Amino acid sequence: MAAGGAAIAATNAANAEDLKTWTEPLKDEPTRHMLGRGVVAVPYGLPSKYESGVVRRNVGWLTADTIASISFTPWQDLHGIITPNGLHFERYHAGAVDVDPSKHHLVIHGMVKQPMIFTVEDLKRLPSHTAIHFLECPANGAMEWRGVQMDSMQFTHGMMSCSEWTGVKLTTLMEMVGVDPKATWFYGEGTDGSALQRSVPMEGAKDQHGNPIPEAYTSHYRDAMVCYAMNGEALRPENGYPIRLFIPGFEANMSTKYLRRLMFVDKPLVTYQETRHYIEVLPNGEIRQYNLVNEANSVINYPCPDYKLKGKGTYEIRGIAWSGYGKIKHVDVSIDGGKNWTQANLVEPVLNKCLTKFTLPFEWDGEERLIMSRATDETGFVQPTLKQLREVRGYNSIYHKNSIQVWKIEKTGEVKNVQIENV
Amino acid sequence: MSKSKMSKLNLGLAAAAIALSLSSNAFAFDAAALKDAPKVGGVGMKITDAAIKPWNISYFYDGTNLPDGKGTVSAGEKIYNKDCAMCHGDFGEGAHGYPKMVGDPVDQFEASAKAGVDAVGNRGINNTWGNAPTLMDMIHRHMPFYAPGTLTVDESYSATCYVLNLANIVDENFVCDKESLPKIVMPGAKLYTTNLGSDTHNIRCMKDCYKGTPAVVEKAASIGDVSVGKVEKRDSH
Repeated sequence: MAAGGAAIAATNAANAEDLKTWTEPLKDEPTRHMLGRGVVAVPYGLPSKYESGVVRRNVGWLTADTIASISFTPWQDLHGIITPNGLHFERYHAGAVDVDPSKHHLVIHGMVKQPMIFTVEDLKRLPSHTAIHFLECPANGAMEWRGVQMDSMQFTHGMMSCSEWTGVKLTTLMEMVGVDPKATWFYGEGTDGSALQRSVPMEGAKDQHGNPIPEAYTSHYRDAMVCYAMNGEALRPENGYPIRLFIPGFEANMSTKYLRRLMFVDKPLVTYQETRHYIEVLPNGEIRQYNLVNEANSVINYPCPDYKLKGKGTYEIRGIAWSGYGKIKHVDVSIDGGKNWTQANLVEPVLNKCLTKFTLPFEWDGEERLIMSRATDETGFVQPTLKQLREVRGYNSIYHKNSIQVWKIEKTGEVKNVQIENV
Repeated sequence: MSKSKMSKLNLGLAAAAIALSLSSNAFAFDAAALKDAPKVGGVGMKITDAAIKPWNISYFYDGTNLPDGKGTVSAGEKIYNKDCAMCHGDFGEGAHGYPKMVGDPVDQFEASAKAGVDAVGNRGINNTWGNAPTLMDMIHRHMPFYAPGTLTVDESYSATCYVLNLANIVDENFVCDKESLPKIVMPGAKLYTTNLGSDTHNIRCMKDCYKGTPAVVEKAASIGDVSVGKVEKRDSH
């Protein structure tokens, strides 16, 4: 464990002598006197039936249909940094499709010495790369921009997942086709109905007006890969089977699913995804493009609004932190609305552009508490407050809402989603 | 601040030609990035440009790669009424929760943004779309929604032309092709700007970080519908 993590102790914590006593003789559970299922009764294992509430969910009013929509990962129920594949959030622009890997190809062309085409089998022959990274939709938290709205952490932070990704590094493929050093952008295109394409900057990239793209964004492609596996098994259709582009740290929309084409160019496309969709309408009336990185963010997933605390005494504050710029350096926790903070324990591993779990012992005194977490990444970037975010982005921004999340613990033990507007 | 529920994640359509050419590249990607890439051979196949052509369907903001062919407003009206209006509305006003084609006039849109009132739900090709050629790109690759990629090039040019007319960007006699689309100046083009990096600057304060009382806002009953699926309250994680 990293440094830090003194317990956040409130006074008047419960003592052992306050505990009730169990006197009834213990009874066996029914499972003690029966035979269970044999092997391969469930050839592909499933969670316990008692965990049936741990599922992806969507928000009906958010989109006109479920084909061009999003579902949310139930982070309130997860205990680590890895999202089980069946719980990875979904985001479709034209629905999930079943692509036959034996007929699928990837073409790489544009500003290259030798355009090439690969089968999925070809890609699996190439030197592989494996790394654990988060993948986050820039709309994560979007429903909270204008005010408090959602009663579950699943809906405030669930447009995000974290997996072990395996594939071929983009730089390996770039070397094979001989990318022209004058290329400053590339884009992927999918083979689903949206044929989704996004422009990805490399060193020297400029926008359509000749303005340079910030240097902080022009090296992310070096971590990029063409993936065929997540968490050790083939990608799921929901996540781009048989292959997808994956660019760690960038908004998830840039990691094109069902990838069929990569093109290297010297200017951005400015696709509808870049001109109409993933843009920010700022309080000065400007429409800002190319806010690409998911900056440092964190959230407490226990306690959170999906729980009701049983009474005063010992709890553990647990949460997740991440940054699209690199590793998490610190996570601090406050139980008094952000006046005073305590450094939390970081649970290994602490990886580049990856979720980091944090914990902090918490003695709840039964009083009202405002709990929150604040991440700092290795670049020194500190997660902003909602007030700070709204000052620069206003109320019409939708995307990249990485502000400090506040949960209010009521005296009853109820946990509420709240916002602090003035500090 | 309006506490209306956030508008829906839009599937967008929309478009403005900016007659700016990219300056030549004084920089390039760092060849050092490839230094550690393994040398591999004997995998994959070479492919000719002619073989790639059917997949090379990306039409850039400045008109690069736009195909031969043309479309008219009148031909586009028939396509729109048959394939588009059920979602985008007879007049581009949007329907059934699908995106508007025509939103607030750009000056009104800009004023809404400055006033902090809902500008998100009023997006249309007449305010948030920078270049007309990428409207053609979007329609040709992604529309109609229920049968994406099925319009011919001429049909896509025509649908593009009709929605540009619907948004009062071109007149009814306008002909859309690879020459004309890049010359259109979209109404919202003047509002576009590029992100310059981190714009929040919090500090890592640990003790007595502010004076006074935090203004805690709880959920207002008027905000949104939260009957979004059963999430049971539990005791422990």
